[in-house]
Amino acid sequence: MTLALYRIDDRLIHGQVVVGWGQPLNCSFIVLVDDEVSSSDWEQDLYRMGVSPQIEVIFASVEQAAAQFSDWEADARVGILLVGDVETAVALAARVPQVKRFNVGGVHHRAGRTERLRFVYLTDEEASKLRELAARGVEVTAQDVPTARAVPIGEFT
Amino acid sequence: MAAVNGARGKGALARALLRLFAVQGSYNYERMLGVGVGVAEEPLLRDLDATRYGPAVARGGHFFNAHPYLAGLAIGAAARAEHDGASPDQIERLREALCGPLGSLGDRLVWAGWLPFLSGLTMAAIALGAGWIAVAAFLCVYNIGHVALRWWALKAGWTHGTRVSVALHHPMLQKAGAVLGPAMAFAVGAALPLTAAFLSGPFDAWARIALAIVAALSFILLRLRGDRVNGLRLSLAVAALALVAGVLWP
Repeated sequence: MTLALYRIDDRLIHGQVVVGWGQPLNCSFIVLVDDEVSSSDWEQDLYRMGVSPQIEVIFASVEQAAAQFSDWEADARVGILLVGDVETAVALAARVPQVKRFNVGGVHHRAGRTERLRFVYLTDEEASKLRELAARGVEVTAQDVPTARAVPIGEFT
Repeated sequence: MAAVNGARGKGALARALLRLFAVQGSYNYERMLGVGVGVAEEPLLRDLDATRYGPAVARGGHFFNAHPYLAGLAIGAAARAEHDGASPDQIERLREALCGPLGSLGDRLVWAGWLPFLSGLTMAAIALGAGWIAVAAFLCVYNIGHVALRWWALKAGWTHGTRVSVALHHPMLQKAGAVLGPAMAFAVGAALPLTAAFLSGPFDAWARIALAIVAALSFILLRLRGDRVNGLRLSLAVAALALVAGVLWP
């Protein structure tokens, strides 16, 4: 199999990812791409607690992810790749041309962001970056859970 | 620091616990449980000096989401970190890092463990003739576990602060996670045939066969199209269909 889901979600590993997506996809590993978490033992310890022992969690910086991406794509198991923000998604897609889609699963309220969907809040700059990503051929949709409709980028940016 | 321990500290913890019961009422898509978490954390921050109290309360109300029964762990840990003089950035990262694990752990322990386990036992008990006593027992036992989990989480967060991952490695949690999954499967598995027999008892044989066919078809549909159909929607659709059929074909 391969990486079945590329998701932008500021909560990173949580129930919607592990149960909502992980179970129907029969996910066996999660790749968490985040420069800060990849160098923080205590944060990795916490994120590992969010998954059952059968699921492997791999922590990587953007650079490490670019180097190891082909290994994960070739993995016989099903995996999910997670990033916590739009910048990381853009940086990863710039280094790894094989990334052809991103699911915006949850980007929540912060100062400067406005509501685009009930689970997507973006600054104008973030919305613009997502549009640029789509213009480069990456399919960008917003979908919080598998049973919801995948909202095309034109409807939320 | 001393002021937050002892009797005053326990009083503040008790007030935070009481406020935690309202945390789900604060849910909204903008900050999710953030405002409720901030309100529940506030009693634990009152001993901070005036210059730190305001920013700490404001931080407590930022976006936060987790399982409501375990949110106290983040509240206690963040409040302790505020008293220990942790930097605002470290406290924000602690809260962010706790969202996912507490949500995921709580979902597995409670929504996919404790709640369906006791529901299964209760349904089986009712089907076997226990009646309202089973419902009363369910409410008592479920809420003893629920309140105990909330209290443990708040106290553990308050005790460990930024080292809160120590609390999450507690053997009780590991054991509960390992035991509740199979126990839930057993209880629900036992309850389903008993409940089906109990509910279909008053109907004619042909109606029971129709019920079995609908149940089997629904199971197959959920297995094959679980990405598009969920159990709740399907149940409501089938119930609506049954009502219409009952009106048209009395």
